[in-house]
Amino acid sequence: MQNIIIGQYVPGQSFIHKLDPRAKLLTAFLFVIIVFLANNWLTYALLGAFTLIAVFVSRLPLRYIYNGLKPILLVIILTFLLHVFLTKEGPLLFDFGFLEVYEGGVKQGVFISLRLLFLIMITSLLTLTTTPIDITVGIESLLGPMKKIGLPVHEFALMMSIALRFIPTLLEETEKIMKAQSARGAQFSSGPIKERLKSIVPLLVPLFVSAFKRAEDLAMAMEARGYRGGEGRTSIRLLKWSGKDTTLFIILLMLSVGLLLLRS
Amino acid sequence: MDITVKELEHSYNRGTPFERNALKNINLSIPSGTFQTIIGHTGSGKSTLIQHLNGLLKPSAGSIQIGDFLIRAGEKEKRLKALRKHVGIVFQYPEHQLFEETIEKDIIFGPLNFGVPLEEAKQRAAKLIHQVGLDESYLERSPFDLSGGQMRRVAIAGVLAMKPSILILDEPTAGLDPRGRREIMGLFYRLHQEEGLTTILVTHSMEDAAHYSDNIVIMEKGGIALQGNAEHIFADSDALKALSLDVPETVQFIHRLEERFDRKLPHSVFSLDAAVDAALTILQKEEKS
Repeated sequence: MQNIIIGQYVPGQSFIHKLDPRAKLLTAFLFVIIVFLANNWLTYALLGAFTLIAVFVSRLPLRYIYNGLKPILLVIILTFLLHVFLTKEGPLLFDFGFLEVYEGGVKQGVFISLRLLFLIMITSLLTLTTTPIDITVGIESLLGPMKKIGLPVHEFALMMSIALRFIPTLLEETEKIMKAQSARGAQFSSGPIKERLKSIVPLLVPLFVSAFKRAEDLAMAMEARGYRGGEGRTSIRLLKWSGKDTTLFIILLMLSVGLLLLRS
Repeated sequence: MDITVKELEHSYNRGTPFERNALKNINLSIPSGTFQTIIGHTGSGKSTLIQHLNGLLKPSAGSIQIGDFLIRAGEKEKRLKALRKHVGIVFQYPEHQLFEETIEKDIIFGPLNFGVPLEEAKQRAAKLIHQVGLDESYLERSPFDLSGGQMRRVAIAGVLAMKPSILILDEPTAGLDPRGRREIMGLFYRLHQEEGLTTILVTHSMEDAAHYSDNIVIMEKGGIALQGNAEHIFADSDALKALSLDVPETVQFIHRLEERFDRKLPHSVFSLDAAVDAALTILQKEEKS
């Protein structure tokens, strides 16, 4: 229950913590694109260096990054194996009779796994160093121009911040209900699959009931305080674009140029 | 079953920046069949402590002995389910644990999990629904149609249906009206006496603590600040005030009487009736003299 780090902000004072959320969001977004520029060892090394330096600069305990990676480690391993066994390029390395491993396959496997690894690391870095509220304000501000074409940006941002806000609450609630049902003899983590699926009902029903109740209460409380959408509403958090953020973009630009020059 | 807690410590979120020491060096012994009350401010570790008593939380250090079950830091007690059969917990706002289609099904959920035959479980449900102040017509209804107070009663019935020998109550009357409070506490006390249950009550109410407990523990910042029987605890109102806790109203009243008439009164007067009696005696004596 405690391994999920979505919306799990780790407080800190590092360079990355202090960046404007918009800068971080854009960087993460652009990084997702330029990751695809890399196609040889040198370019991957460059991306790797960027990612590792970012992790280092954030001064986050490495365990957090690792925890974020854990759930998708299996996906990475699977992708790697698929590439190793299915890509038939370059000289033959091993031959197990029924399976043949080619050099191109290993290379491809390593590249794709690294790509996934870097993506996850950079995006977890974003959520680990930025409070969910800052992320939402950042998104709202970045999408601001879309309001002109009638996109409900404010409502979208509000939905997101509420969803993020309630993740920990719901987790806590889940834990509480799990405890209450365990005390009544329910077992969640053992027994055959069929039993285990059945044992989820005593957990899910109360969780849904309370989530709906919470939603209703929240809507009521918001209305009682005169909430009527985003029109004319100003945010208590003012975003400030500073020299740091520009620096980040220059680094990102240099990284992109480097990738373009070095890719084969 | 006797409960012995030795040097118990617990910290949440171990090894993260959010690590928090919730319990430190708790030593506590609760003899079988006694009524133990735990008092403390929000965040003093009361709820954390009671969750150790049926293995929902594992100690970070120290040990808990319950009957012949031993839970120790770093060790797995394999018979947790058997232990939980003996230790029933009524959590805060237990109505949140209701989930079945009918009230009857919800009440028998616990007993069925612990291997009680269906027929017997149903008999228990029929008996308990009366005990908690509802009637049989409710058994076939959905628990989600009930009022908050009624849901609370059904949830309590669901815990009692397991026939635990140790009953842990975590603020069972929070949010109930005064009458509901009296009824529910009355029910627990009757069960405690009739069935010889070991009862552990977590509460903010000094009145309840004074009225029902054999022993009281006062917790402060994860440790035990005061411990003893009700007379002992409430005799020292200064120590309580230092922990920003109050003495029960009846005790306050007796103290004021003593000051006013400059007399000593027995300090074990906790019920309203007993306080009235004490006041009457004193007034009669005053009249005579």
